[in-house]
Amino acid sequence: MAALLRGLRAGRLLRGLPSVVAAPASTNQQCSSLRRSFHCAALRLQDESKSDKSSASSSSSSSSSTTHHEHYQAHSSHQDTEAASQQDPDPNSSDREQDEEYETEEQLQAQILAAALEFVPLYGWSMEAIAAGAESLGLSSASTGMFPNGSGDLVLHFISQCNSKLTEILAEQHNQVQLGQAERKKTADFLRDAVETRLRMYIPYIETWPQAMSILLLPHNIPDSLKHLSTMVDDIWYYAGDRSTDMNWYTKRAVLTGLYNTTELVMLQDSSPDFKDTWAFLDNRIQDVVNMATTAKQMQSTGEAVAQGLMGAAVTLKNLTGLNQKR
Amino acid sequence: MHRAAHTALCDWPQFVKPAMIRQSLRCTGSLQTSSRAYSVIPPPRDREEEEMMHRMLRVDHAGEYGANRIYAGQMAVLGRSRTGPLIQQMWDQEKKHLAKFNEILAENRVRPTALLPLWNLAGFALGASTALLGKEGAMACTVAVEESISEHYNSQIRALMESDPERYTELLQMIKEFRDDEMDHHDTGLEHDAESVSVFLIFALDDRLLNKNISKGSVVLNN
Repeated sequence: MAALLRGLRAGRLLRGLPSVVAAPASTNQQCSSLRRSFHCAALRLQDESKSDKSSASSSSSSSSSTTHHEHYQAHSSHQDTEAASQQDPDPNSSDREQDEEYETEEQLQAQILAAALEFVPLYGWSMEAIAAGAESLGLSSASTGMFPNGSGDLVLHFISQCNSKLTEILAEQHNQVQLGQAERKKTADFLRDAVETRLRMYIPYIETWPQAMSILLLPHNIPDSLKHLSTMVDDIWYYAGDRSTDMNWYTKRAVLTGLYNTTELVMLQDSSPDFKDTWAFLDNRIQDVVNMATTAKQMQSTGEAVAQGLMGAAVTLKNLTGLNQKR
Repeated sequence: MHRAAHTALCDWPQFVKPAMIRQSLRCTGSLQTSSRAYSVIPPPRDREEEEMMHRMLRVDHAGEYGANRIYAGQMAVLGRSRTGPLIQQMWDQEKKHLAKFNEILAENRVRPTALLPLWNLAGFALGASTALLGKEGAMACTVAVEESISEHYNSQIRALMESDPERYTELLQMIKEFRDDEMDHHDTGLEHDAESVSVFLIFALDDRLLNKNISKGSVVLNN
């Protein structure tokens, strides 16, 4: 996996060294210009990926560093002095190299998964889609080895992408309200719009979505999928204006989770044009929740009034029987 | 120099992650709820610090909520006695603390503890039952509770000072202020006859055990 990455980066390095490639075998005059151009190229390399310089010096990556050395040596005979100067033992290099690789690897994985999404309607949420995605980026289909939990990774990546998009949309709407360019929506409408927006992101993949849902229910994927679900619900409530710090925090999020999950299931079986039935179902459920909340509030105020009445009756009795006198 | 570039380079990609997008967008949300331009809690550097902060705030919020309910229980019994006004005064200060923590939790999107109903009942029960033993009982309960709360705040102050006092200046100031208020309550309890020996001894031991377990349990469970 690491060797694959270095091979990929070597390919990029080759593309990024036009000045060095263009230089012929050296004379003294050309040596200095070569060295200068090599320094420029080296600086560019430094910007791209610091680890390549340090990988030349770290002994743990001997095989790929020799590859790099060969590439450099093929282009310039003053390679050795340059390589020697690059081999400064850098105490931070191994840490930096590991961190750099980690970051680049994540980005690479994200790119492959994003490309694989195009092939999902064709191959489903599977390793084949990831392989096809990798190939469409010009990488070997063996890069599926980077994804031991292949289909799970793909679905989770898609979901986190959808959540980020939703958060952006909600934040944008929030800004609009702050700037006074838009009206503040009522909570019920806000929730309805947020859930609808989020579920609409599934429409291009709706054929294969049952498969995706079953993948999310696999035991090793459940923690991640629950985390994504809970952050999404928390985001929606936050932008709806919820700032509660008591049990309401939990009940509200539980209600929205139920709302979202049931609507998602309805959407899977909906065949009406533009999923009209799903949105109607969503409307009805939100109405139910609003009614329940109103009823709960009414019950609470009734209960308080009754309690006060009883207390009043008790105090009256105590007064009548003389128990309330201070002794 | 290398380390600075290293940390800058390594911290930067973190800002691209969705969680960080969410956090940077969080600032726009907080403008709505608070007119202050700054927050008591500094924006977290990474996931770990965020977790640590949230845990601390959650426990503190639970503690203030519990203290609130304890005083409520005491007032329910002794509200109309001579110590009523005194307890009411202490309760009002606790209410201010709770309000402050509510504000901080809302601003920083901290999840409140799921055990709130438990602290509600337990606190009220503790306050009411100690108040039933009379003024000395209530004061002994106050002394024990406030002592353990002060100890808890002190250990938090120590932890924050050890890690980075400059970064957490406002938070430290706030916690110190609250700790001083709690110490005042503790001293008030002592002044008002909490020291009638038998009651105090029995009480303080039991209460301290109970409260230490509650606070330790809350730290463990609330996480």
